[in-house]
Amino acid sequence: MTHDILPRVVQLVSLGVLALLLGWVLRLVRSSRLPLRESLPWLLSTLAALAVTAFPGLLVQAARVVGVQVPSNALFGAAIVYLIANVLHLTVTASQTAQRSRRLAQECALLRAEVEALKAGRVPLPPGPGPAA
Amino acid sequence: MRPLVIVPAFNEAKNLPAVAEGLRRHAPGVDVVVVDDGSTDATSAVAASLGLRVLRLPVNLGIGGAVQTGYLWAATHGHDAAVQLDGDGQHDPADLEALLAPIARGEADLVIGSRFLTREGFQSTGARRVGIRWLSLLLRLRAGARVTDPTSGLRAAGPRAIALFARSYPSDYPEPEAISLASRAGLTLAEVPARMRARVHGASSIRGLLAPWYIIRVSFGLLWPPARQALHGPTEAEPPRRATP
Repeated sequence: MTHDILPRVVQLVSLGVLALLLGWVLRLVRSSRLPLRESLPWLLSTLAALAVTAFPGLLVQAARVVGVQVPSNALFGAAIVYLIANVLHLTVTASQTAQRSRRLAQECALLRAEVEALKAGRVPLPPGPGPAA
Repeated sequence: MRPLVIVPAFNEAKNLPAVAEGLRRHAPGVDVVVVDDGSTDATSAVAASLGLRVLRLPVNLGIGGAVQTGYLWAATHGHDAAVQLDGDGQHDPADLEALLAPIARGEADLVIGSRFLTREGFQSTGARRVGIRWLSLLLRLRAGARVTDPTSGLRAAGPRAIALFARSYPSDYPEPEAISLASRAGLTLAEVPARMRARVHGASSIRGLLAPWYIIRVSFGLLWPPARQALHGPTEAEPPRRATP
């Protein structure tokens, strides 16, 4: 059964690669280069891939449950959805970061102008009430 | 009224002296900030030598981020009106008074300087005018804003518009979207005639294949504007509130 859909050599190489990936992610977490929260999808997906590689029968079962005839196609489908979700998440994170750095740059500009005015002996802020927010 | 003139400038060292001269002649004594949007030329030094206050951004944010820097300054320094005037010299400081008048009278929160009300001065090219018409139509249908020149970067803001724009301002091609934002936030719009000049130095950033992309990008922003709560809630970081030292 097992060697029908996954030759032994391919299985061993895959397990090795996945173990390396798992070790890499864990190392990133331990050296706090990757926050634990961000690492969870990676850990879970790697563990799932390990399980399916060690026991290919799982994939055959799962494919049968969702009605996909070729098990590898079910795997590809799931992987593509997972990757697209990942990229979308990254895009959202990137634009949040851009918005924050935009505000930081603006704050820098305001503070620099105020510091320069103070150094020149001028008062950068007028007296009186601030604007209605 | 304590108006602030916001001059966004990206590599405009050559054009700034004429802008400063126009401001001296037509609006003597008015507060001005030149927002240097991460220029690689002497924009900041030239502005400072002309006696203008410089807000120097450490990185290039694009026109939206630069203009918003000016609104942040206005909001935190007690200005009850702000005028955007491009640093490339295409806008005439002589129009300042007309732009500020509806705000002083309390009739409008946001006043757009339009090239097309009296059809004087630089009228842009045919294809661009078609695009501008289209954006006008979208603004009327989606935001209920009646504006003939939605891409005009010459505009004046009252206290409510200053507070709104300091809190949230569109980033990429912000002019039409800012009108949509203001209109949907319940601000009152007005338009006054303005004369614009073709630029003296440099080229438009929207040219060639970027022109259709500009229209698509902006149309998208106008057709699907942010949800209403985004207009009132703190969508971005809250604007800084500073006490007088």
